Amino acid sequence: MKKAFAVARWEYMEKIRSKIFLVGLLLTPTIMIAMGLLPGIFAQREQQTPRFIGLIDQTGQFVIPISDRLQSFYVLDNGQPAYFILPLAVGGGIDLEKEMADANRRIAEDRLIGYCVIPSSVLVDSVVHYRTSVVGDFRIPARVEEAIQQVIALRRAELMGISPSVMERLDVRLKVATIKVSSEGEEGRSSFEKVFFSAYVFLMMLFFLIATSGQLLVRSVIAEKSNRIIEILVSSCSPTELMAGKVIGLSALGLTQVGFWVVMGVVASTQFGMELIDAGDALLMTVYFILGYLLYSAIFIAAGSPLTTEQEAQQVTSYLVLILVVPIMLAIPAMQSPDALWLRVLTYVPPLTPTMMALRIPIQTPPAWEIGLTILLLLFTIYGAMVTAGRIFRIAILSTGKTPGFKEILQWARLG
Amino acid sequence: MLSVADLKKSFNHTTAVEGITFTVRRGEIFGLLGPNGAGKTTTIRMVLDILRPDGGRIHFDGLPFSPATRDRVGYLPEERGLYRKGKVLETVLYFAELRGMSRSLARVEAQRWLAKFGLLEASGRRLEELSKGNQQKVQFIVAVIHDPDLIILDEPFSGLDPVNQIIFKDAVQEMKRREKAIIFCTHMMDHAERLSDSLCLLDRGKIVLEGTVRGVKKAYGRNSLHIEYEGDGRFLDLLPGVQRIIRYENAAELELTPGARPGDLIARINEGVEIRKVELLEPSLHSIFMRLVGNGEPVIVPVHGGLR
Repeated sequence: MKKAFAVARWEYMEKIRSKIFLVGLLLTPTIMIAMGLLPGIFAQREQQTPRFIGLIDQTGQFVIPISDRLQSFYVLDNGQPAYFILPLAVGGGIDLEKEMADANRRIAEDRLIGYCVIPSSVLVDSVVHYRTSVVGDFRIPARVEEAIQQVIALRRAELMGISPSVMERLDVRLKVATIKVSSEGEEGRSSFEKVFFSAYVFLMMLFFLIATSGQLLVRSVIAEKSNRIIEILVSSCSPTELMAGKVIGLSALGLTQVGFWVVMGVVASTQFGMELIDAGDALLMTVYFILGYLLYSAIFIAAGSPLTTEQEAQQVTSYLVLILVVPIMLAIPAMQSPDALWLRVLTYVPPLTPTMMALRIPIQTPPAWEIGLTILLLLFTIYGAMVTAGRIFRIAILSTGKTPGFKEILQWARLG
Repeated sequence: MLSVADLKKSFNHTTAVEGITFTVRRGEIFGLLGPNGAGKTTTIRMVLDILRPDGGRIHFDGLPFSPATRDRVGYLPEERGLYRKGKVLETVLYFAELRGMSRSLARVEAQRWLAKFGLLEASGRRLEELSKGNQQKVQFIVAVIHDPDLIILDEPFSGLDPVNQIIFKDAVQEMKRREKAIIFCTHMMDHAERLSDSLCLLDRGKIVLEGTVRGVKKAYGRNSLHIEYEGDGRFLDLLPGVQRIIRYENAAELELTPGARPGDLIARINEGVEIRKVELLEPSLHSIFMRLVGNGEPVIVPVHGGLR
């Protein structure tokens, strides 16, 4: 074990002085802070002037209710309505083709953000069209859709002969429902921020840490193989000691890095007045963090040690990094539905366990049995992965020349 | 010190080492010789426990291999290379620690060795900043710093200039005086001849010759004409009465066919070139080596200088 620590110290000291480490140390929090601040910046750059939305209404019944609704619901900070409805053509007798060509021209001239066509059949089949030059802005069509929907609902109710008083109550209820959606967003804002930030920070930290230290690990093994230092190393200590040393050294390196980031993060969040997750959750997440890191170390060793060139290493490590991106992609849907079955199922896929738990913890701390079970699952997986990685490592470090095929590596893993 | 018995190893159905047996004593330089691909490096790797043998035994002072015996071995691999970005002293200390030395003792020894090789000023520099010769010195220090009982040197002189070769040879001789067992692995027969006490010649995974250097040469008798000359020596390749020739730039070693008369031969050589020195000697190891593993063609060795 003494030798393993000698290896660990060497790996730690060599890497901590390397440029790639320093860059990662400083660049990562910069990126994360930028990511944290960007939504705020975009939020502030919200629309300042009213937008004009054209309306071609073949029914001739919707212009006023829709414009009332849009104008009263969506108001800019300066008190002006966010949208003005511009009736382009109203009534059954209009030449639709001509009107649409006309409206398209207005869009091209930037006088309209978009326009809506309400055919006379709308009360039957509920089909309307929205045409716009800014397809990316999904907010406007959603709002227009909502407004039209409400108006149609009211109109249908009216056609069914429902009395005006009932209609009014219906309308009120509909209005309340609409507000509820947005007000929940308002209320949830701080907790969403907390969830988003802690889970996202966790994911990003784990991601960058594994990506950088995994690459360092693979590269160091390849360098040692190519200049045959490996021969001196494995004639001095056992492959197990060597591997253990590398994992310990690089983990220490990773913890240094994360420690630095956490300090920066705490400083930054107190500075920006952001809410922090409570200490218990933080501790739990740290446990998953370390377990996740160890698991991925083993995966990197197993996948990286049979390689012989830097180019291969780059390819393979970038594939591994892609696996790590999966939980990041799942982060947003997971935050939206923390109770979803798929989320619970994915929690028990070992490479995803740490990140999935990290997503779930700040939203709603999972029950103790789930925590216990996942930690146990991770420990077993890490043990198995380390043993397998060790077997591959032992043989792989001495193989030079041609990179072995997948079948051959599997054989190493089985036989040791 | 080291005894190897019936060592076997094959890779994917090709046999690399086929039943090798030899012993290395303390205070002895043992030449492990053979052409490239003969199985020298594979043998060494098994002795070092880098490779697991398929069969056979390796014993250190009668003990099988263990982590403790591991620390008693020093190794200079053929392909050199240490951490290019590593600092000299730290690199030496690291490998010393890996051989089980305490850091404080390693520091004392590292400084002694660095001073001995004139590298004390370079202690804080990165390895890549050093000249190739100095990098090799650091590598040598790494191999011997922990005062091993068995030292394995794989082609220790390759790429060294003559000055550094002498420094290395002196260091090896000193190890020998201090009763260390030294395995000297090379395909350069003249080096082996000058340094080794006993040897073992491998070819295609088998021992084809073994014994003390003196004994081996004696067995082949005085039937080699060693000449130094001036002039164009190409005609020597075609001389009758010579069964093998190793020709250097201005020197040659001619192995006579049984019954050939050296005097006649010298007379004929004198007609073609100006002889500056001629000796009838035992064959050089190189010549024996060529006889055993070569294919009988004349060998032209484009090296500078004479035979000895």
